[in-house]
Amino acid sequence: MRRVLAGLCLSTCLCAGLFFARRTSADDIAERAHKLHFSSIVLDTHADTPQRMLTGTFDLGNRDAEGHIDIPRMREGGLNAQFFSIFITGRTLGPPAIQQALDQIDLVRQNVQQHGKDLALATTAEEIRRAHAQGKIAILMGIEGGHMMGNDIRMVRIYSQLGVRYMTLAHFYNDEWADSSTDKPAHNGLTDFGKNVVREMNRQGMLVDISHVSDKTFYDALEISKVPLIASHSSVRAISNHPRNMSDDMIRALTAKGGVIQINYERNYLSEEYRKAFAAVAGDVSRMEEKFKKECGDDNVCIGKAEIKLEKELTDAGKLPHVSWEKIIEHIDHVVKLVGPDHVGLGSDFDGADMPDGLEDCSKLPKITEALLRKGYSEEDIRKILGGNILRVMAESERMSKELQSAP
Amino acid sequence: MVRAILWAGACFATGVLLAGAMKADGVSERARKLHFSSIVVDTHDDTTQRFLDGKFDLGVRSSSGSIDIPRMREGGLGAIFFSIWMPSKITGPEAVDRALIQIDAVREQVRKHSKDLVLATTAAEIRDAHKQGKIAALLGVEGGHMINSDLGVLRSFAALGVRYMTLTHSGNDEWADSSTDKAVHNGLTDFGKDVIREMNRLGVMVDISHVSDKTFYDALETSKAPLIASHSSCRAICDAPRNMTDQMMKDLAGKGGVVQINYHVGFLSQEFRDAEKTNPELNKAISAEVMKRCADNEGCQLIEGDRITREYVEQGNLPRVEFSKIIEHIDHAMKVAGIDHVGLGSDFDGANMPYGMEDATKIPKITEVLLQKGYSEGDVKKILGENTLRVMTEVERVSRELNAGK
Repeated sequence: MRRVLAGLCLSTCLCAGLFFARRTSADDIAERAHKLHFSSIVLDTHADTPQRMLTGTFDLGNRDAEGHIDIPRMREGGLNAQFFSIFITGRTLGPPAIQQALDQIDLVRQNVQQHGKDLALATTAEEIRRAHAQGKIAILMGIEGGHMMGNDIRMVRIYSQLGVRYMTLAHFYNDEWADSSTDKPAHNGLTDFGKNVVREMNRQGMLVDISHVSDKTFYDALEISKVPLIASHSSVRAISNHPRNMSDDMIRALTAKGGVIQINYERNYLSEEYRKAFAAVAGDVSRMEEKFKKECGDDNVCIGKAEIKLEKELTDAGKLPHVSWEKIIEHIDHVVKLVGPDHVGLGSDFDGADMPDGLEDCSKLPKITEALLRKGYSEEDIRKILGGNILRVMAESERMSKELQSAP
Repeated sequence: MVRAILWAGACFATGVLLAGAMKADGVSERARKLHFSSIVVDTHDDTTQRFLDGKFDLGVRSSSGSIDIPRMREGGLGAIFFSIWMPSKITGPEAVDRALIQIDAVREQVRKHSKDLVLATTAAEIRDAHKQGKIAALLGVEGGHMINSDLGVLRSFAALGVRYMTLTHSGNDEWADSSTDKAVHNGLTDFGKDVIREMNRLGVMVDISHVSDKTFYDALETSKAPLIASHSSCRAICDAPRNMTDQMMKDLAGKGGVVQINYHVGFLSQEFRDAEKTNPELNKAISAEVMKRCADNEGCQLIEGDRITREYVEQGNLPRVEFSKIIEHIDHAMKVAGIDHVGLGSDFDGANMPYGMEDATKIPKITEVLLQKGYSEGDVKKILGENTLRVMTEVERVSRELNAGK
């Protein structure tokens, strides 16, 4: 904790020093950034907070000493639109996976209802704007893994009807019809059924999320989908060469069809140095994870806490490097340089990943706005990155859904 | 064969009512006018089972079964609850999954036929549909086993448009006793009472058709909103455990509820019921024939069950039950529970229909006969749908109140 604070102070001082000589004073930029950030729709496409809701003791309305998201911190960080992830392990399939997914959807809906003064369930770009106009935080839902469909296309319609607005085609394991980037290919991308799933998602206005999927699955989905794709929480492979990240070619192909990549803040995906160091201790880590799973059972929050503790120990022991939050800016900037400002956004992976130093939780989000402004980004471009780009894709998805549904 | 008998019935009715303007179907102009200006609500139909094989098209007039859009139009049926159903023996996540598939099947039929149908979830939406000349389609879950003891699943069903749940089907579920199973919970368990409270909060009507008498009384005591019996008839006329005693109907009405008369011959006629009971081999033979024709296609089983039963009646092996038995039950329920507490819950496409009520086109005859019996037009409207709409409105009011108190 102390080390993090020291790091923060150092970077702030450094930034202040750098900008002293310019015409605009640091304070002016800070003020402009603050104003810009808190007047923008800041839309994050991936947080695993429902896992914390499952504990039964978690209250989204209370400031929590742990985790990355709660209403007070969302307010503090100007985070006013959030996709909560519906997630269960990819090893659970069939009707049990469906029922567990329903339970998590219900949990999110219950939490929104319970905090109706602060939160509003949103399913369209328009509803997000309306919530913002009312000073409420828009809550949306995404399903992280096609295995929750029970291999039944009809579930696309059921989930859509319950408010789900994107589905990640696979998680860490292949599902019945799509290959994952972190499993051995079994389907050569998308099966024919998988292609029909994508078509039905288009028809239902459910965004096709290609985070987690294999490169071949990505290209198959890109070919089939009539709506731009999103990567709800993936970063740049050119910076950290992880299969969960996207290559420059993939980013170009994604954006050529109007899609958007939402940068993931997980240290492994942000930093090549960290990724390599982590790979070196991965054997130890997976042994420890087996141990955590035994101790925690199905309690993903318990497993998450144990993992955070382990990573902190490894970092303190010098086995894992520190990763600064500024790496997030580096990833955003890489995409902007590659394809322009219309195709990148924020997909934190809050409450589901290990955050870099300086972006410990959602209250720190205004730093992203300020850093982009200091890099010389226009206010208009920053608003796009904060949420405008993903809102554009949502609106396009809604338009196409109407068109497809009105077709005979 | 069936048609010939119908004509005979129509001729008889024409003779009796020579003074009134009467068409060949035995429905007077006055009855027709009243019927087609009323909102006719039917709270129980098993047509959903027919959707599942993917071949049945609700938009096309079918020569089998009782329900399709052309026949609903012809019979002036303005609102229909499609039942989400599977046998009680299917439990756990599989039951949840199958219920979702059926909900989707109904929603898809509505989407495909959006010129004629609209999904409704409130009384106001039914009235709107009626104004637009559309048929309101609603969803009811027939059996608490489909929530797999999970209130989250119940809430999901409600979010998908389900507006009533029958607490059990023919077998007990994990938290409520059925009228046709051996009692194991002494009515509702504590969790079962929580289910009722959550249904009240969600605005999902509590349906006590199929449940044991004790479950009914437990639900009546627990529920803050009126109950419905979505498809049950009068035990005083036909002594089936699926029917309601006079006292139950009085108590149901005392709390504002409504009993929706079921047209199944085995619930309408004591004579039919006795014949079935004294000759159990008949039922076995019918079941065997159904299985032979349908295997595990449940939609087919329901339709063929009705057809084969008719064949047995025609052969003189089972007594013939006329549609006038429905009127007898309505009249009895009205006398016992009051005019505000009776309605229609046909069980079309899920039961054996009486002669003269083969399908939805025959419903105007109910209006005709009630007028003949001297019921006022206002009273007939109540029976046809207004009573159910009143209960729905009250259930919605209770739901708002409970949510506001949160």
